[in-house]
Amino acid sequence: MARNKYDIDETLQSKFDFKQLKRLGVYLKPRRSKFVFVIVLMLISSALGLLSPMFIRTILDTYIPEGNKGGIVFLTCLMIGITLVCAFILVLKVKLTNEIGQGIIYDLRKDLFTHLQELPFSYYDNRPHGKIQVRLVNYVNSLSDLLSNGIVNTITDLFSLIIIFIYMLLISVRLTLICMCGLPVLLMAVWFIKTRQRKAWQISSNKQSNLTAYIAESINGIRVTQSFVREDKNMEIFNSLSSSYRRAWLRAVLYNNMLWPCVDIISIGTTSAIYVIGVSMLTGNSDLMSAGILVAFIQYIGRFWQPVNTLASFYTSLLNAIAYLERIFETIDEPVLVHDAPGAGEMPPIEGAVEFNDVSFSYEEGIRVLNHVSFKTKVGDTFAIVGPTGAGKTTIINLLSRFYNIDSGAITIDGVNIQDVTIKSLRKQMGVMLQDSFIFSGTIMDNIRYGNMEATDEDVIRAAKTVCAHDFIMQMENGYQTEVNERGSRLSAGQRQLISFARALLADPKILILDEATSSIDTETEIALQRGLAELLKNRTSFVIAHRLSTIRNADKILYVDHGEICEEGTHDELLKMENGLYHKLYMSQYDFLNR
Amino acid sequence: MAQETTKKRKRFAAPAPLSRENLLKNHMQDKPWPWFYSFLKKYLPIIIPSLFMVAVASALAVINPMISGRIIDEVIYQEQYGLLKNLLFLLVGLTLLRGLIRFSFTMLFEYCSQNTLYAMREAVFRRLMLEDFNFFNNNRTGDLLSRQTGDMDAVRHFIAFVIYQLLENALLFIFSLTMIIFYNWKLALALLVVLPFTAYTTFRQSKEVKPAFRRNRDAFSSLNTFAQENISGNRVIKAFAKEDFEESKFDKENAKFRDSQLASAKVWCKFIPRFEILSNIMTVVVLIVGGFSVIGGNMSPGDLVAVTGYLWMLNNPLRMVGWLVNDLLRFITSLEKIHATYTAEPDIKTPEAPVEMKQFKGKVEFKHVYYNSHDEDILTDITFTALPGQTIGIIGATGSGKSSLVNLICRFYDANHGGVFVDDVDVKNMNINVLRSNIGMAMQDVFLFSDTIEGNISYGDPNCSFEDVERVAKIANADGFIREMPDGYDTIIGERGVGLSGGQKQRISLARALLKNPSILILDDTTSAIDMETEAQIQNELEAVSGDRTIFIIAHRISSIINADQILVIDGGKIIEQGTHEELLKMDGRYAKVFYNQYGEFEKIGGSQYGKK
Repeated sequence: MARNKYDIDETLQSKFDFKQLKRLGVYLKPRRSKFVFVIVLMLISSALGLLSPMFIRTILDTYIPEGNKGGIVFLTCLMIGITLVCAFILVLKVKLTNEIGQGIIYDLRKDLFTHLQELPFSYYDNRPHGKIQVRLVNYVNSLSDLLSNGIVNTITDLFSLIIIFIYMLLISVRLTLICMCGLPVLLMAVWFIKTRQRKAWQISSNKQSNLTAYIAESINGIRVTQSFVREDKNMEIFNSLSSSYRRAWLRAVLYNNMLWPCVDIISIGTTSAIYVIGVSMLTGNSDLMSAGILVAFIQYIGRFWQPVNTLASFYTSLLNAIAYLERIFETIDEPVLVHDAPGAGEMPPIEGAVEFNDVSFSYEEGIRVLNHVSFKTKVGDTFAIVGPTGAGKTTIINLLSRFYNIDSGAITIDGVNIQDVTIKSLRKQMGVMLQDSFIFSGTIMDNIRYGNMEATDEDVIRAAKTVCAHDFIMQMENGYQTEVNERGSRLSAGQRQLISFARALLADPKILILDEATSSIDTETEIALQRGLAELLKNRTSFVIAHRLSTIRNADKILYVDHGEICEEGTHDELLKMENGLYHKLYMSQYDFLNR
Repeated sequence: MAQETTKKRKRFAAPAPLSRENLLKNHMQDKPWPWFYSFLKKYLPIIIPSLFMVAVASALAVINPMISGRIIDEVIYQEQYGLLKNLLFLLVGLTLLRGLIRFSFTMLFEYCSQNTLYAMREAVFRRLMLEDFNFFNNNRTGDLLSRQTGDMDAVRHFIAFVIYQLLENALLFIFSLTMIIFYNWKLALALLVVLPFTAYTTFRQSKEVKPAFRRNRDAFSSLNTFAQENISGNRVIKAFAKEDFEESKFDKENAKFRDSQLASAKVWCKFIPRFEILSNIMTVVVLIVGGFSVIGGNMSPGDLVAVTGYLWMLNNPLRMVGWLVNDLLRFITSLEKIHATYTAEPDIKTPEAPVEMKQFKGKVEFKHVYYNSHDEDILTDITFTALPGQTIGIIGATGSGKSSLVNLICRFYDANHGGVFVDDVDVKNMNINVLRSNIGMAMQDVFLFSDTIEGNISYGDPNCSFEDVERVAKIANADGFIREMPDGYDTIIGERGVGLSGGQKQRISLARALLKNPSILILDDTTSAIDMETEAQIQNELEAVSGDRTIFIIAHRISSIINADQILVIDGGKIIEQGTHEELLKMDGRYAKVFYNQYGEFEKIGGSQYGKK
């Protein structure tokens, strides 16, 4: 799968059809009683709404000529009563439709988010993060109007349409049929516009996503942008993205706005036809027609096209919403590559005997990253993995946490195949410190506690002391309660590494994995750190990836990895004895400069 | 090559076109409304005629039922069948005309709205580009993003829809009221009684709904911020198996957003019945006052029937007032939010009259520099001079202030006391863009963009040739692994460079800094994740091309800085030792200690001496 960037539209993998709208029904289901209630309310209020014109007519036609002041007051009082009831119904409607709509949005977003948590790294690595975010936040929000007012109004409109249709049929079948002649024309128009409109909204949603992704990334990368004085070029890119969004939007809106003039034209066309035919029937003295019938019919025909118009506009916003909906469902349908095997049990408390047995792995089919890797650790071993960049070091430890599934072979911990246990129970017992130490916005305390929510403040402080982070934390204005912002931008890279180190320790992992975890920490701190760790690591298995050889010298075993294979394996002393060995060469290279 | 270099430098030295001046001009509008108007006014030549079209369309909306009425009365009831043709033509013609006008003005308003939005987005984005690091340290990405997405949408809706709806409804109301005045001015006067109540309700509504909308926008921002952090922290979340925790945290944000939406709906619910009742009171007033007048003989029955015909025109606008006020306030809330971001003045700016700098020689001098942040002393009394062509190594404990020191050279932050001088000019007196153009920096936090590798390396000079990209990639020892990737230099990398190893990211970032061909090169911990063999190769390559460049190298490994002309040992924000490798070893202080820690065992394995002879 090719990676996506800000100026590439994401192609839609699955083809959307209206069947998928049914999925929306799943979200409506738990709210159906509310939904039905609103519709009933709406029908009552439309029925009540018909009363007022009747009262007005009675007053004008009967009471005023009669001079019946009491009657006028009575009916107007009645009208006020009806207004009050209608107003009350309207309040209920607004309240309930909002609850339904916001409730669905809440559920939809929750499902989307939950699914996102399960998606593999590759999903996040393959597209700008802004594009994921826009789906989770903006796209879901775009549905709110459709889901709250849209559906309710449509259903009530459909009802009134049916009622009016029945009235029209009762008055004159013939005229009704003439009127219906307009519908196929309308359908054709809808058909014509639909495909283009749908496409236009898809493009628009893509452009919105591109623009958002670019803004998000620009904000995150602002430091680089400013140091490279790239502001002008970025403005240019931003403007071109912004302008494609503008163009796409205007195009989509153009199609949207084409629909109702069509309805207008068809409506006036059929109405004219009714006039002409009705009048010609009158002049022909047809038995089927009278002035009264014609006038009544014409009044209904106006009421017929009005809901058609609202339905058409609903259809328009539906097409708009589908452009977002299909993206949301696409993400929800994104396969979870790594999941618990059926009937997977809990990983028993880990002792720490890790074994890779003939493990092969590839991220993409055909491109082997690991080739028949086998090794074995004893409980409590410290395993160092060295080798050139891109050799597969990080891959080995990622497989141990089961971030990916292996192609062949087996990874076992204490003899248990990690494929047979739940991912959660496995990862909970591992402490991983990644290359990229990620700090959340919040207090330092919370950041360290992320490793173990149950830890007391004392536990947190102890962990911080172990990793030599305590001193600098205490120097900050509020100590452990100091708020740091996203990614901890006020901390130095080394400080961030120490904090995430403390976090990993606090998780009390049975297996500790350090992936270039100390690269930004100075040697002195590192030595102090190792002293603190030694006690802690006594009975734990640990894996260390590092480039500073002083860090790995004391490991129980060193694996030299290159091109996805283990080339050398042994203790530091053993490997150094191999005069022509790769490790020997690597180790000596650090002293080369001294002899230059 | 040399010629090209001077050409490049010259271009960098030219005043940057990103117009701070224009920005200042715009900035005169330091209130949201005038600021908004400054964007909108360009489109007034379209908006005003469009508003006129709205008026025509509203008039036609009134005329059409009249024609239908005539057809019914004169043609059908009075059997003047001959009139039908003309009236029908008129009806069809006017309907089509109205459709056309309506279609035109909706599209015109959309057009104006999109263009205004485009200009606003640009202005806000431009402002963001100019903000200093402190601004971004103190503002959450999600908030800034919300300003550009959700809030902009409220502005769009206002221009595209609310403006003409306001006019249309006002016109309908005025028109129908005028007609009623013609029939019976006393009745019209009685109707006006409703207006003060409507005005008051509107006032109350706007007072109450605004805080609700503000909370609404805050909840939106907060949701955005959370989503952003969760997405970018996905690796850590998985590594700690904290999905459940994230879900429960998200649930709170999600619920908060929903509840804030429902809360504003609740305010709305409070006011709907008032508008509904007020609009229906009109009907009641017409019927009672009108009916009694007719009975009393003060009004003809025909007139009352005609007046009731205008009732819907009177009712609808009143009913709409509430909706429109809602939309209007949503817009104002968002506008204020956007404007607040826009007016945040960066502390670090190019001075009014910057010192003209042509080509940088690369001399960097710190004179008694103090810098503190969050009441914490970061740097204390830093003084040193780096001569053009020198390499300065900086070593020191985690958090000792090394990165802050080099950040001051680029003026990402300003020193609190003392001065940083480049080529004997205080950096505060320079054009920031010129200064930064002449400095190449590979930052400690490697940020790569989700772009191709070529695009990332050529970030500082997007128009450079592929050969240049390749050349710097080779110096940074990145060419090899780049070529091994599926699409070579065209491989798109994930946001922040995920998917690449630390060492790969650092090498790309080094190549990116080199491409600028800067007079001053700053490498902030750029080789920490690179193995030593590769580092040695990079150093050789770098030496060959460094020429008269001044280079700052921050590192933890002695091997990275051993050849520096000057090594600064920093601790607790102070320079505690200063000198060459040999000098520092002789001092037998902190530096020597670090050296023996790292290489103490060298003798054991057969090396005879350490240190350069």
